[in-house]
Amino acid sequence: MLLLVLVQHFFVSRLVILHASPDILAIFIAFVSMSIGQRTGTTYGFAAGLISGVLTGTVGMSALIGTVEGFAAGFFHLPEESHATWIKKRRMFYIAATVALASGNFLTALLNNPLSLPLYVRLPELVILGTIMSMILGTLTFHYVLRKLLRD
Amino acid sequence: MLSLFRFIAKHTAYLYFLLYCGISIMLIQLQKKETLDAIRQRGLAVNASVAERISGFTGILTLRQENEHLLLQNARLFSQVVHQQQELRDAKAVQSASTDAPAWARQLKIARIVDRRFSATDNMLIIDAGASQGISRDMTILTPDGLVGRVTDVSQNYARILPVINKDFMVSVVSDSTRTLGILSWQNGDESIAHMEHVPVSSSLKVGEQVTTSDYSTFAIRGIPVGKVVRISKDKLFCNIDIRLAVDFSSLSYVLISPAKPSKEKVGLMGTETGRKGP
Repeated sequence: MLLLVLVQHFFVSRLVILHASPDILAIFIAFVSMSIGQRTGTTYGFAAGLISGVLTGTVGMSALIGTVEGFAAGFFHLPEESHATWIKKRRMFYIAATVALASGNFLTALLNNPLSLPLYVRLPELVILGTIMSMILGTLTFHYVLRKLLRD
Repeated sequence: MLSLFRFIAKHTAYLYFLLYCGISIMLIQLQKKETLDAIRQRGLAVNASVAERISGFTGILTLRQENEHLLLQNARLFSQVVHQQQELRDAKAVQSASTDAPAWARQLKIARIVDRRFSATDNMLIIDAGASQGISRDMTILTPDGLVGRVTDVSQNYARILPVINKDFMVSVVSDSTRTLGILSWQNGDESIAHMEHVPVSSSLKVGEQVTTSDYSTFAIRGIPVGKVVRISKDKLFCNIDIRLAVDFSSLSYVLISPAKPSKEKVGLMGTETGRKGP
């Protein structure tokens, strides 16, 4: 997770388009929440946010955003005994990731606005553009990495 | 009590969520406290240090692109410098042409040579001043050094000059000391040497005398320097005289146009008598 935080902070967050950047950490939190459970996902989200916050200087806010992301994605948890098909797992992952990203970005737009942009600009930028960018990255990550983990 | 434990066990995720949210909000509130501030500062220092290393590494990767960009910028700046130097030289040349001109040339117009054709037989110049600037046919073209030629054709913004070093050009000249008269013309060959014709062998003309335009010229006012006598050889009736021209045609870029002309009445009378265009 620490490695992921570093990758997100030093590399992925530099891919900025209109003040929004992809969030690989939220994808990871959503995956954990969806595959392991809401409680674990919330804890992972809190921990990831805390580490990320130490680097950005916004410990509390990052932890809160991570917690919300993990908790929101947890509603789409598929228990192991559910015997869900792989297609259903994939669908649930995409939904969980989208919900986690949208909620996390919504909260970020409300709590963190360093350029003092009006909310009607900041919210669509982060919630729509940020989520779309992250989902593109999430789709690639799922296709090349997470898919194998889900099948196992 | 048991039902409370059951409720808690059933909703642990909510409790975790509330607990973490509470901690997070507390951290937000305590962000400005000394301990948290120290952690924050340490984190930012680590962040800055790593970011600096990464940007240094990516800087190496983009070095080639940056070099190309700098080269391009360098070329652009160089072209600007060259252009500005040219402008400066032009301005100096214009200033020099105006200030060095003799007293009789105070009202001269200045023009730049925009095209030239120099060959062993047919030389001509084009200047960037025409009818719009008040230039007309047969005006005298000169520099502070001396005579350049005469205007032969005029368009709206340009004029064609027949220079001294054209075989069709002739001008009446006079030497400054002995007042010897003659006709200056140029034959094919050296562009700095012209010839003075119709000077009888009895003339007292000496090598080194200055030659200027005379009163007999049909287009030039008198007193414009033309050149200097460098060689005199005597033939049967006339002398063969070489004149080193005052103007260096190889480095000519700006010229002056004299609006002053000899009296039209005088030129008209001479034309009626000879029936041809005079020197």
